[in-house]
Amino acid sequence: MADGIWQARGVVKGRAQGKALVSQTALSFLGDLDIRSGKVVGRSSDLLGTCVAGRVLVLPASRGSAGAWRFLYQLKVHGTHPAALILRDLPDPSVTQGAILAEVPIVVDPEAAFWTDLRDGDMVQVNGDSGCIARC
Amino acid sequence: MHLSDRDLALLDGAEGAAARAAMAALVQLGEAYDAPDMVDIGYAHVHAGMALYKGDVELIEAVAGQGAKMAVPVSTNIANADMGNWQSTGAPDALGQLQKRAEVAHRLMGSATSFTCTPYWAGHWPTWNMHIASIESGVTVFANSVLGAKSNRDGFFAVYAGMTGRYPRFGLHLDRNRQPTHRVTVTADPLGTADFTALGYVIGTAVGSGIPLIRGLRTRPSLDELDAMGVGMATSGGVAMFILPGVTPPYAEDFDVPGLDGAQVSEADIAGVFDAFCTGVETGFDLVHLGCPHASFEEMKHYAALLDGRQVAPGVELWVTTSRAVKQLAQDAGLLAPMLKAGAKVVSDTCPISCHFACSCSPDPALGVQPPKLRTIVVDSAKQAHYVRDMIQCPTLFTTSELAVETAVSGRFHPRARRNG
Repeated sequence: MADGIWQARGVVKGRAQGKALVSQTALSFLGDLDIRSGKVVGRSSDLLGTCVAGRVLVLPASRGSAGAWRFLYQLKVHGTHPAALILRDLPDPSVTQGAILAEVPIVVDPEAAFWTDLRDGDMVQVNGDSGCIARC
Repeated sequence: MHLSDRDLALLDGAEGAAARAAMAALVQLGEAYDAPDMVDIGYAHVHAGMALYKGDVELIEAVAGQGAKMAVPVSTNIANADMGNWQSTGAPDALGQLQKRAEVAHRLMGSATSFTCTPYWAGHWPTWNMHIASIESGVTVFANSVLGAKSNRDGFFAVYAGMTGRYPRFGLHLDRNRQPTHRVTVTADPLGTADFTALGYVIGTAVGSGIPLIRGLRTRPSLDELDAMGVGMATSGGVAMFILPGVTPPYAEDFDVPGLDGAQVSEADIAGVFDAFCTGVETGFDLVHLGCPHASFEEMKHYAALLDGRQVAPGVELWVTTSRAVKQLAQDAGLLAPMLKAGAKVVSDTCPISCHFACSCSPDPALGVQPPKLRTIVVDSAKQAHYVRDMIQCPTLFTTSELAVETAVSGRFHPRARRNG
C-alpha cells in the first residue's frame, strides 16, 4: 500500500474524516463516555478526560455491553459522537447496531503498518464501504 | 450472504420503506459477523423507546411513522416511567407524557405494549429451537437457557427483526456456538430469588461472556430462581446462555464436559456479593425495592403473603415493581389489596434504576428531570444493586426478599444470614 493508506475490513458502511484519537485501552460505550460532553469518564481508559466528538477513534477493542448501542446513538443525538471507529477486533453486535443507527463508520483489523505508522492527531479518512483508511 | 427471495423483495421495498430500511440494516449486521444467511424468527422483545434519553421515543415514533408493522409476535421492554401512574413515583408530568407516546407508536406497529424486562411472565414464552431477538439481556439468557429458544444479546435491531421476521444467522443462532465454555461447580445451597441473583452474579464474574455449564445444585431451581440466576450472570458478565443439565434443552441431567475451565461457587462467594452491595445506611434509607427483574405472579403471591396484615414503617417507601400484565393478574387475584393496605406502592412499566432516579441518562432538559438525592436503596436483587450503584450512583443494602419486607416494616435493615454450604 502507498504511504499513508492502509487496508482494513469495512464493518459499518459510510465515509468520515477526522483527527485520529489513539487509545491503547478497551472502551465501553456504556459507562465510559459522558453523553452530553463526549468526554471519556471511564477510569480504566487512557483517554480519561479527552473528548471523542468528531475524532476518528482508534481502539484495540470495545468492551461488550448489551446497552452500548443506545449510548452510541445518544452521542449522535447530542452531536458528541466520534466521526468513525477503527478497532483491532470485531466489536460486540450492540456496538455495531449503534454505529449503523448513528451512521458512524467502523473498520476493523487494519494491516500491521497502520499500528506503527499512524500518529495521534493525524487527519484521516475512513471508508467503511471499502475498508480503506487514508491519511490526508 | 445468501438472501431469500423475500429478503430481496423487502430490500426492494415490496413491503414499504420501513421494512426496506430494516432489512438493509440486518444485512449490514449479518455481513459484519459473516452470517451465511438469515433465520426466521418467531418472536421479538424490543426497545421501549426511553423518555430519559433525548430523541429516543422519537426514534420509535419515526419507525412507526414510516408505516412499520410487526411480522411476528412482539413485546416491549421496560420503560422510564409508569405510564398509568407516574405521579406515584414523583416523575415529572412531561416525562410521563413523553413516555406514553411510545405506547401509541408500538400499538400502531402491532406490538403488545407489555413494557417489562420479564415478558415471559406476561405470556411471551418462546419454545425450544425458536429463533428470537431480544433487547433485554435477561430475556436472552432465560430464552436460551430455560426455554431452549435461540437469541443473541441484541440492541435496537430487535425492532428490525420483529418487522421483517428475519435475523442474520450468527452467534447463538448457530448450534456450534451453544456449547459450554466453563464448568462451574456450586457447593452452596442457594434458596430464593435473592440468593440466585447473587449466585448468577458470581458466575458471570467468573466466566465473562462464556457459557457456563453449572453442576452441583442439589435441587431443581424454581422458574423464578432460574430467572434470577440468569439475570445475575447477564449483569456481572456478558453471559447470554447457561447450561443447567436437566433444565436447559436439550442437555440431559447426566450431561458433563469434565475438561473445561473450572470455577467453584461456595456460600462464602454468595455471601460476598451480599456484603459487597451493603454500602448504605442501616436506618433512614429512602426506599425498599422488591421486583427485580419485574415480579412474576408467583412472586406477587409471595410478597402479598409477607405484607398481609403488616404496615410499612413511617418515612419508609416500599416499591413492588412488575409488568402491567402481572399487576392485572395480581389485582384480579386479590393480591394488590394487602400490599397497598400495608403501604406499598405497586409500580409497573419501570423500576428504580429505569426511572428518573438514574443520573447516567441524558433527557431533554425541557422535561425538567431532576434525579432526587437518595441516601440508600434496599434491594433483593444483585442486578438492581449493581445498577443502583452505577446508574443512580447511590449506596445499597442487599438482602433477601423476606428480610427486605422486615426491613421496610421495622425501619431497620435486616441483613441476610449466612447459610450452610
